[in-house]
Amino acid sequence: MSDIILRTTDLGKQYKNRWAAQAIDLEVHRGDVFGFLGPNGAGKSTSIRMILSLITPTTGRVELFGYDLFNRREQALQNVAGIVEKPDFYLYLSAYRNMQIAGSLTLGKTPAEKKIMETLEIVGLAGRARDKVKTFSHGMKQRLGIAQALLCDPQLIMLDEPTNGLDPQGMKEVRELIQRLTTEKGITVFLSSHLLNEVEQVATRMAIINKGKMIVQGSVEELLKANANKVFFKLLPLKRAALILDSLKTVSAIEMTDDGIMAKIDPKYVPSVINKLVNAKCKIFSVEPKHSLEDYFLEKTTES
Amino acid sequence: MLNLIYWELFKTYSKWRTYIGFIAVAVLIPIIMWIMWIEGGKFISYQLKTLQSEFLITGNLFNGWVVAQVIMNGLWVHVPTLIALVAGDQLAGEATSGTFRLTLIRPVSRTRILNAKYIATLIYTASLVIVIALLSLGLGRWIFGTGDLIAFDKDGITILPESDLLIRFMFAYALAVWSMFVVASLALFISSFVENAIGPIITTMTVIVIFLIISNLPVESVESIKPWLFTTHMNVWQQAFRDPYDWDKIWNSAAALGINSFIFWGATLWIFKRKDILT
Ligand SMILES: Nc1ncnc2c1ncn2[C@@H]1O[C@H](COP(=O)(O)OP(=O)(O)O)[C@@H](O)[C@H]1O
Ligand SMILES: [Mg+2]
Repeated sequence: MSDIILRTTDLGKQYKNRWAAQAIDLEVHRGDVFGFLGPNGAGKSTSIRMILSLITPTTGRVELFGYDLFNRREQALQNVAGIVEKPDFYLYLSAYRNMQIAGSLTLGKTPAEKKIMETLEIVGLAGRARDKVKTFSHGMKQRLGIAQALLCDPQLIMLDEPTNGLDPQGMKEVRELIQRLTTEKGITVFLSSHLLNEVEQVATRMAIINKGKMIVQGSVEELLKANANKVFFKLLPLKRAALILDSLKTVSAIEMTDDGIMAKIDPKYVPSVINKLVNAKCKIFSVEPKHSLEDYFLEKTTES
Repeated sequence: MLNLIYWELFKTYSKWRTYIGFIAVAVLIPIIMWIMWIEGGKFISYQLKTLQSEFLITGNLFNGWVVAQVIMNGLWVHVPTLIALVAGDQLAGEATSGTFRLTLIRPVSRTRILNAKYIATLIYTASLVIVIALLSLGLGRWIFGTGDLIAFDKDGITILPESDLLIRFMFAYALAVWSMFVVASLALFISSFVENAIGPIITTMTVIVIFLIISNLPVESVESIKPWLFTTHMNVWQQAFRDPYDWDKIWNSAAALGINSFIFWGATLWIFKRKDILT
């Protein structure tokens, strides 16, 4: 049995005459923390809205747990929960009532008090259960949103920029919560973000989207490998070093920064390149291999 | 489904705006009665003095039943606003507050969610009319006492004996609820494609006013559409005070109102099922 629990094929949405998302082919496997990465306006929320049946796609299909979203919507969404864009609630009702309402829509009956309180406990809101959501801060609403998503023991949770608008402490808490969900409860998490380092820290697989189009998809490890061989030289003088590197066939993608040079070099040539620089009387302070996806992400999202 | 309806009712009755209608009638009805207590007594007595000598009328002529009927006559154009206030918010309110993103991603079909909202709205509509009924009959009989009801209409004057009146009033309020269902359906319909809370109220009232004008235009060219407009039938409750009942007219109006409600419900469902949730 294939363990792809979310598959989109050629998914696209056109508004007036421009595409907010186009040809989105996602494959999310059971157990993944799937990072959906892209700058603001890339089409992340639009894709998530289509997957959760809030908007009708212009093209393509969505399959959840093997069920077609358009023909078998109820089965497809039975084990899915999530937050789209910012978490919104019935502000005039308490956190507890909001939990009851959300839960009853999935269960077909009002969820048990014990279950609700346990779930609120996980996100640290049990003490505020009876307070109106109107009085909650953004961070509390975000956590309530996660609690609501967790309430009916879903197998897949879709979180749209869950750390948006949170302070560093809040971001850390949400990240830890996501990690706990996957390790302790075995929930598959689909997480969108415009911050690469956030995805990099928690995701096992990811897709990058920009201007409505998907650029790449794969395991974070593979993508890191594909993007390996970047080396950062902290050295002086910059101009002379750049000229030398530029003259070498084994070096490419040279970029000068304030205090050094970034270049793409196959690791086996690194010693000889260092030698050449030393011979040319460059002062080398450090040489670091760069594995971060940051540059890759920036490169991919700015070039197109 | 019952659970869905329960929570729609819970939401509806947890909102402050739902009580504006109840508060409005709870304030208006005593005021109307107070004015009638001071003014109306004189006015009606003069008219009826002459009658009293010609017919056999038992009890007080200016009584609670009369007052309740006057109130109904006065309110049936204003109550739609109070209904639109709540019904118009049912879909538009959730769109505006972003809570559709919370409910419509769950494994419940939009048809069921809409129907639950519909039923909750109809229950609110009925509850508002019931409160009007209890207030005007209860307070009216307490302040003005009881007696026979003199009903005026195009054909003249009918005297309805007190023994019939409770049934007749219940029938009148039931017909009023039935016609207010059309107003609720219209407001929900507009609520399905408008994304703010004020729009549906204003639009509903505008539609009602325009239709009412058409319904009352003494012009040949609009005669043929009049029977189809719900506003032509909205005063069907007045038929409860005819003696004998004109069943043809009552059935005809009730059917026209029902068809109107059904069409608005169908149109709302059609739009709601296709609606892109962008808020
Ligand atoms: N309702 C809409 N009408 C027209 N364009 C829209 C609408 N919603 C989103 N867009 C456009 O679609 C693109 C993708 O938006 P969105 O999916 O919200 O991006 P993201 O979530 O990645 O920031 C943006 O350029 C946005 O302006
Ligand atoms: Mg977004």
